[in-house]
This record gives sequence, C-alpha cells and structure tokens, in this order.
Amino acid sequence: MVDVSQHELVPEHSVVSDSELDDVLDEYDIERTDLPKIKRTDAAVPDDAEVGDVLEIVRDSRTTDRAVVYRLVIQ
Amino acid sequence: MSTGQTPKQIGSLSFGLMDPEEYREMSATKVITADTYDDDGFPIDMGLMDPRLGVIDPGLECKTCGKHSGSCNGHFGHIELAAPVIHVGFQKLIRRLLRGTCRECSRLLLTEEEADEFRDRLDKTRSLGEDLGDVTKAAIRRARKASNCPHCGETQYDIQHEKPTTYYEVQDVLSAEYSERIAAAMEGRPVGDEEEGEVDREPMGPMELAEETGIDSSRIQEILSSEFRPTEEDRESLEQALDVDLTEEDMNKLMASDIRDWFEDIPDRDIETLGIDADKSRPEWIILTVLPVPPVTARPSITLDNGQRSEDDLTHKLVDIIRINQRFMENREAGAPQLIIEDLWELLQYHVTTFMDNEISGTPPARHRSGRPLKTLSQRLKGKEGRFRGSLSGKRVNFSARTVISPDPTLSLNEVGVPDRVASEMTQTMNVNARNLQDARRYVANGPETHPGANYVRRPDGRRLKVTEKNCEELAEKVDPGWEVSRHLIDGDVVIFNRQPSLHRMSIMAHEVVVMPYKTFRLNTVVCPPYNADFDGDEMNMHALQNEEARAEARVLMRVQEQILSPRFGENIIGAIQDHISGMYLLTHDNPQFNETQALDLLRATSVEGLPEPDGTDDDGIDYWTGRSVFSELLPDDLNMEFEGTLGEPVVIEDGQLVEGTIAEDEVGEFGGEIVDTVTKVYGNTRSRVFINEVATLAMRSIMHFGISVGIDDESVDSEAEDRIQEAIDSAYERVQELIETYETGELESLPGRTTDETLEMKVMQTLGRARDSAGDIADERLDEDNPAVVMARSGARASMLNLTQMSACVGQQAVRGERINRGYEDRTLSHYKKNDLSADAHGFVESSYRQGLNPQEFFFHAMGGREGLVDTAVRTSKSGYLQRRLINALSELESQYDGTVRDTSDTVVQFEFGEDGTSTTQVAHDEENPIEVEDIAARVMNAEFADEAERESFLKGDTLQTNLSEHQDTWRTGGAVPEVESDD
Repeated sequence: MVDVSQHELVPEHSVVSDSELDDVLDEYDIERTDLPKIKRTDAAVPDDAEVGDVLEIVRDSRTTDRAVVYRLVIQ
Repeated sequence: MSTGQTPKQIGSLSFGLMDPEEYREMSATKVITADTYDDDGFPIDMGLMDPRLGVIDPGLECKTCGKHSGSCNGHFGHIELAAPVIHVGFQKLIRRLLRGTCRECSRLLLTEEEADEFRDRLDKTRSLGEDLGDVTKAAIRRARKASNCPHCGETQYDIQHEKPTTYYEVQDVLSAEYSERIAAAMEGRPVGDEEEGEVDREPMGPMELAEETGIDSSRIQEILSSEFRPTEEDRESLEQALDVDLTEEDMNKLMASDIRDWFEDIPDRDIETLGIDADKSRPEWIILTVLPVPPVTARPSITLDNGQRSEDDLTHKLVDIIRINQRFMENREAGAPQLIIEDLWELLQYHVTTFMDNEISGTPPARHRSGRPLKTLSQRLKGKEGRFRGSLSGKRVNFSARTVISPDPTLSLNEVGVPDRVASEMTQTMNVNARNLQDARRYVANGPETHPGANYVRRPDGRRLKVTEKNCEELAEKVDPGWEVSRHLIDGDVVIFNRQPSLHRMSIMAHEVVVMPYKTFRLNTVVCPPYNADFDGDEMNMHALQNEEARAEARVLMRVQEQILSPRFGENIIGAIQDHISGMYLLTHDNPQFNETQALDLLRATSVEGLPEPDGTDDDGIDYWTGRSVFSELLPDDLNMEFEGTLGEPVVIEDGQLVEGTIAEDEVGEFGGEIVDTVTKVYGNTRSRVFINEVATLAMRSIMHFGISVGIDDESVDSEAEDRIQEAIDSAYERVQELIETYETGELESLPGRTTDETLEMKVMQTLGRARDSAGDIADERLDEDNPAVVMARSGARASMLNLTQMSACVGQQAVRGERINRGYEDRTLSHYKKNDLSADAHGFVESSYRQGLNPQEFFFHAMGGREGLVDTAVRTSKSGYLQRRLINALSELESQYDGTVRDTSDTVVQFEFGEDGTSTTQVAHDEENPIEVEDIAARVMNAEFADEAERESFLKGDTLQTNLSEHQDTWRTGGAVPEVESDD
C-alpha cells in the first residue's frame, strides 16, 4: 500500500504540543473549535494524532514560500 | 433618520416556540366575530377589523397606541380555539417526539446512559458549529428501537403519520372474528388468510384446550360463542396453545388534545437531550390552543371603485377559522354526537393549516370564490417574489435610470454621458447656505423643465413644495439658507453605473455625469471590458446617490479609475481595445514620420501642449517627428521599462521615451498591458487614467490618419500560392488515403491505449490539421505586413492568424465533439458519399477557403461544427453562471479581520493570513526580476519620512518627543504635590 503521507505533494503534518497550542490560540484569540478541521481518517494525518489534537501543517505557498496552517482533528 | 429614536444594536436573536400565554398577553383584543364591518361601514368591535388591531385608513387614530396610520405598525389580536389544533410547520417534529417518547410516562425512550451519550454528542457538535439535526435524529432513531419504555416498562407502539396532520398509533387488538378463528384452529382448519396445508395443526377439543391454557372450560364456551371477549392474558395463552394469531392491526387515531397531553408530560431534561431549550420552547406549545390574529396592517382591505370593500386573503381565511370555531363550540355545548364533533374538529384543523400554508401536498388548497388559491402566510414568504427574495434581498429603488448605451470616445473613462431628460428627472439634494444660495436660486428659477433646474424644494419647516413652470420664479426668490433644493443632475455629479449580470465588482462603478442631448447613456469604449458591454443594444442602469457619505464613498472607492487594476489577477483590466491597438500599432510599428501639422493633429486631443525637438529633417529640409516620439509624449517623463512585447521583440522605454519596439496589445491592452499596468502601479490611478484616455485618443487620431479597412478580397492570394496550397492539400489527401489503405489491410499499428479505429482517426486528424497549417503558412507569406487584417491579428486588436488562414487558404477540418464528423446516415455522413468512406472530404474536411466559398457538402459540415459552438456557449454560460452564484453565496460571508485572519460569520478561521501573505493583489506586484525586498521598502519609506540621519536615528531608538509642552509646565509641576488622578470614565 502506498503511504500517501509520504508523497511529495502532501505537506508536513505534525501534532502541536499543548504549550505551543496555547500560544497559537492566544495569538488569534480563538477557541480550539474555531480552527479549521481535519478528519482523523484523512490519510495525511499522522498516526499518533488523536481526535481533539491540533495539527500544524507547513506547506509550500505560491504567495509566501511557506504557509503555516493549524487544523483541529475531528472524529 | 427621522424616526426620533436612537439607533440600537441587536445583541442576539433566538428562535423558539411561543407560549400561548404570551399570545394572549400581547394580544390587543380577542376576536370572536367573523364579521368585519357593520352596515354603516364601521369596523365591528372584537371583529377581524377591530380598530385596536391598528389603523389603515389615513386620519384615524389607533385605539391601542394612539398613533396614526403609517407610524402605527399594528397590533396582534387572538382567537381562542375551541379545540387544540396541530401546527403544520411542525409535522415532522411532532412525529419525532411521538416516536421518541413513552406513550404512558412521556419520558424519552432512552436509558440514562444513552441519554448522557447523546447530550455529550450534542455539546460537541454545538461547539464545533455543526448541524445538531444529525445528533437529534440519531437519538430519535435509537429511542424508536425500544419496544418497552426503559422507565415505566410500557409497551410502545409504532406511530404512523398521515400527512399533513393526522397521527395514528398502530396497535394490535383482538380481532373482531376471534371466535371464528379459535373455532377454525380447534378443528385444524386454516385460519384467516392462511393457505390450505400451510400450517400444520392438530385438531383440539374444548376440554383439551381448557387444560392447556388453564382457562375455565365454561369460559372457553363463552368465548367461542362470542359472548365473552378473552382478556389479554387469555388471548396470549390461547394463541400459544392453538398456534394462531388472534389479533389484527388497528389504527388508533391520536387527537390533537391527546398529543398535547402527551407532550405536556415530557420532562425538561429529556427535551434538552433532543436539542430543544425547554425554557424557550415547550413541545406542547406546538399544539395550538390560541391563534394569533395578524394586525390589520398586515392584511389591509381595499375599497374598490364601486365602493365595495375587498378583503385580504388572510382576512378571508381568518373568517373561515372563526366561523368553524364558533360552530364547533355551539355543537359541543348542544351535546352533538362525537362523529359531528370530530368532523368539525377536522375542518378547523384544515382551516388553521391552510391559514399558515396553502400549498401542502395531500391537502386541497383553500380557494377564493373565483377559484384562485388563497395566498396565505407561507406563500407570502416563499419563493422568488416572496418577502425574502422579493422584498428584502432585492427591491425596486428610486433615483435610478435605464437606457441603451452608445460609445463616445471624447469622454474620459471616468465619465458617463447622461441624457438631459434623465438628468432633469433624477435629483440631488442641495442644502442651501450662504455660499450656494445664488446657484440654488438659479436652479429653482429655471423650473423643472429647463436643464439645470430643480424639481422640489423643502422649506425649513419641513414642507415640501413642487417646483412648477408657474411658480418657479416666485419660489426662487423665497429660497434662503436652511432650505433644501432638489436640483437636477449636473456635470461632475457622481452616479453609480451598472451592467447586468453583475459578475464582479467592476460591474458596478461610479462615474461622473456629463449631461448630453439625445436618449442614450454614453461611455468611453475603454470601460467596455470591465462591464463586458458592447453597443449592439445593451442597456445599463444608473443610480443617483442621495447623501454625502454615499457620494464620498463612491468617488473615493468606486470611481472607474480606482478599478483599473483587477483584484482577480492584480493587473489592469482597463486599457486600449480593438481600434486603439491597431492605431497604436500603425503609429509605432514602422516608426513613420510626421510633419508638424500631422504631429500636432495626432496629439490635439491630449494634454500635451507642445511638440518636443524634432527627430530630424527630411530631404526637403522639413522637420519631422516619428510615431514613437509622438507616443512618448504620453508617457511619464521618468518611466524606464524593458520587456518582450506583443511581436516577440523587445520594447525599450528610457526616461519616458519609447526607444525601440511596437506598442500593441501586450503594451497597452486591456488584460495586463505592461505599460498601463506599470503606470498604474508606479504613478497611481489618476496618472493611469490620464494615460489610458490619451492613448485612446491618440490611437483614434492615428488610425484616422492612416485609415484601415478590410474586405474579403484583401485576403486573396495569387494563383501561384493557390496552386501551392492545393498541392499541400492534395498531398495530405494522399497521405490520408495511404493511412486508410494500411488500416483496411489491417497493417495500421495502433497507438498505446487506443484501438486501431481511434488511431486512424487521430492520424487522419493530425495529417489534415497539418495540411491546413501549411496552407496557412503559404498564404501568410503572401499577405503583406501592412495588410489590415494582418495588422489587426499581429497587434492583438482582433482576430488571429488562424482566422486569416481560414479566409485565404483553407477552412480545415470541422469537428463535432472533438472528432471528425461521423453522424448522419447509416454508415455515412451524407448520401453524397459511399458507405464506410473514410476519406477526408466525407468526414467534414473543408478544403475551400471562405474567400473561395464552400461547396454544399462543406457548407453543411461547417454548419454542423458551427452549431456545436453555439450550443456550447449557451450551455456553458448558464451552467457556469449558476456555479458561480453558488460559490459566491457560499463565500460571501467570509471577511478579513483586523488581525489578518479570514473568518466566517461564526468566527471560525478560514485562512490564518489573507491569501497566506496578507497582501492585496492590486497593491503589491512582483515577479522573478523584481522580488519584494522588505528591507528595501522599509529603507525607502524611512528615507522619505525623515529629513536627516539624526532624526531617523532618534525615531528608531524610540525617543519620543514630548508634545503639548506648556510654558508653565515646570511651574505646575513644582507648584505643589501632584494631585491624584481620578478616573472619570
């Protein structure tokens, strides 16, 4: 089976630690649930991520070279 | 606003059911009579037109609030229903509640653990902002599975819903023919619908049966003779002993009152498990016991010409409800039989149902005497003409005009030519003061019919007077500061101009008025691309702005010059088009020479005041100027550019002088013309507006100087070229013939992933395509560089080299669905060809050129291909229009916030930084050669901001200069102890 998460077009997904997450939530003044979502079953989600975790996704961008996005893992 | 109220902000909205007590409280009166007006034409007290429900006749005073018609919004009344009635809007909720709760104790049919689980899930979905419906539906589905109540143990029955308002409980009850069934079973015969031999039963005597079931044998005799109905327990033991089904399904109808009692007992906690806030909405409120009567202002009656009153549909419906309600009460008091009561109840239910929604499936719509279905509450709201889409999202407006558009190259792109008759109909309000008094008086004195006139004046006391031809002179003298004058539109006013479909923001732009004679709106041709307008009969709308804020906002944000750069791709969307481009090409391509008169004539409509030094003198010693230096007069003096132009040759601009290159589409054109784009970004929108206007006028002058005209004979080629074209086509035919032969002998090798048939088709298409191209190349060689059609195609003004090829050499293969033409008759396209003919001309290859003319078969194939194009565009526009509409509706609520994020209305983050870089496409531009260097920008800003290094240093160090220094500062500081600062917020 192909591991999609290793494909070159799939950006890097990593679980955000609690303290880092607090900084992120503080920065944007939001609740965890206001973040964009991603399904647990999504092939790009790392295996150690659980529902309720927040992922940091670092991807190439056409406008900035590197764009960082946070997503809440659901169900 | 003149409502006399301070504006208030809406804190929150909540939706829920309304307590019947609340209906009674807010009611201005109880309505008990179905009549509206008495014989004298006065409204009857406690009737449907009771004066306490509001006023509609002007001059009368509202009995409830004392206001007059217009300011009184009206007041609700109420009808006490004789019996509870179901609210149609909640059919589904009623069904779900009946299915999910116990018929005995009304509790939710879920164990505590299950209920907790669903409450948790509800909380979670609520915080994620997702649809609660999925969870509550799942809860009901689970509850429905329980056959006994987990709380009281009562057996639950299935609930059936007969739309719209009847609910049944499906119960198993003792069959009416129980004795026959028992007798049959005892004799071993088949029972009921059973087939002979289907069930194997031993005959059984009464004594045996009594023994088996434990029922007294005399009782069994009684049961067999239908004298005694077996009890529930007896029935079950009988069924077991005889292996027989003694029950039948019975539909037990649930009356509205039963349902209400049932719902009343549902505990609050269970309601909350279903996602309903019990404080705001108790389920029993779904069953109506009191009906609110809408105020008369919502259902005004109109007096017809003959003096007869005609009532609103809602009033008619309310009359029906009250009549039945009354009859119901009378019948009940008189002790009428249950059957009649039930009929009346159903009738009342019908009227209340249709009062709310008259388009329910399964219910005949209530009709007017004329047979027209009544327009009741839900019909007022629903659909395109309903309250939401028809009256709130979109409505008709005043101060708007619509007419045909036509071009006027003498206008600036910021302007719009407004017909005088439109200008004198649409007004702007002038607040008269000492400075504009003279103007105001002049407008009023001109009256409503002479152009810069006025239509109305408002005196300081608020009285509005119409200016007429008769009173205008007199009125003009009375106008003083403090008056308001509604004057005609004059040159320079800002108006909004729009062409539908309004697909992007450039479809609505602000223009400055230029009042003109005749009947059409005039606009500069360079604004055609953003509006997607042409002049084949297009109409456009104009809106006159009515307050100073709107005018300022329109001028600053919406004016055409502010929209030169498109937010879609960050380059200019406005620029030279069509003839402008041909004109610029003619002017700059061969860099022609002009004498002084000619050069001045070219520049006469621009702001260029004098010619530069001549570029040289000709053989006769007369000064001349070249086309490029004439064009350079329009460029900003310090512009430097170098890029590859339309023709693939370099375009070089040094210090505002076009040194090399041709000006055409990629230089000054509409979508991303390099020079226009750079001028806009570097020198600003105003400079760019001037530049585009002047390019357009210079180009028009230039094209008039050279002259351009095209006829089909301009595209003819000499006979030698024609022979060569014929040769090219003939050789292609031969190659196609070879291909067909190899195919027929089965020697054609198929391409990977394709059948031989497909391979042949592809190869034939390729061969013929190449044939057309080479024919085109031959023709191209023969067409002069200065051929007008070539000029247009090369410069990018209109048409392409392909169009020229088709005119002069060969039209080429016609295609339907991307394939050669294969349809028509059996095994052939037309009866002119043999069956299974695979040759080029039998499948739509058009060998002729448009100039030569097509033969009948070619013409027919060409029409087939042409029609596909027409159908495609028609389908594409409707499909993509709808797709775009849906996209826009879905994205319209997204908003970029002050913290740089993009969020939707529930504050969920959509993008963490707008466009990931937080910049506007129109404000920032960069490419490979000019990357954005933040340091450089910062340095540039600093240099511009600070006069010298010291000032800059001190700013960067964060030294803040003290402001508001007072000469006495030191004295108050030392004058005594500094008083404690008290907060006075």
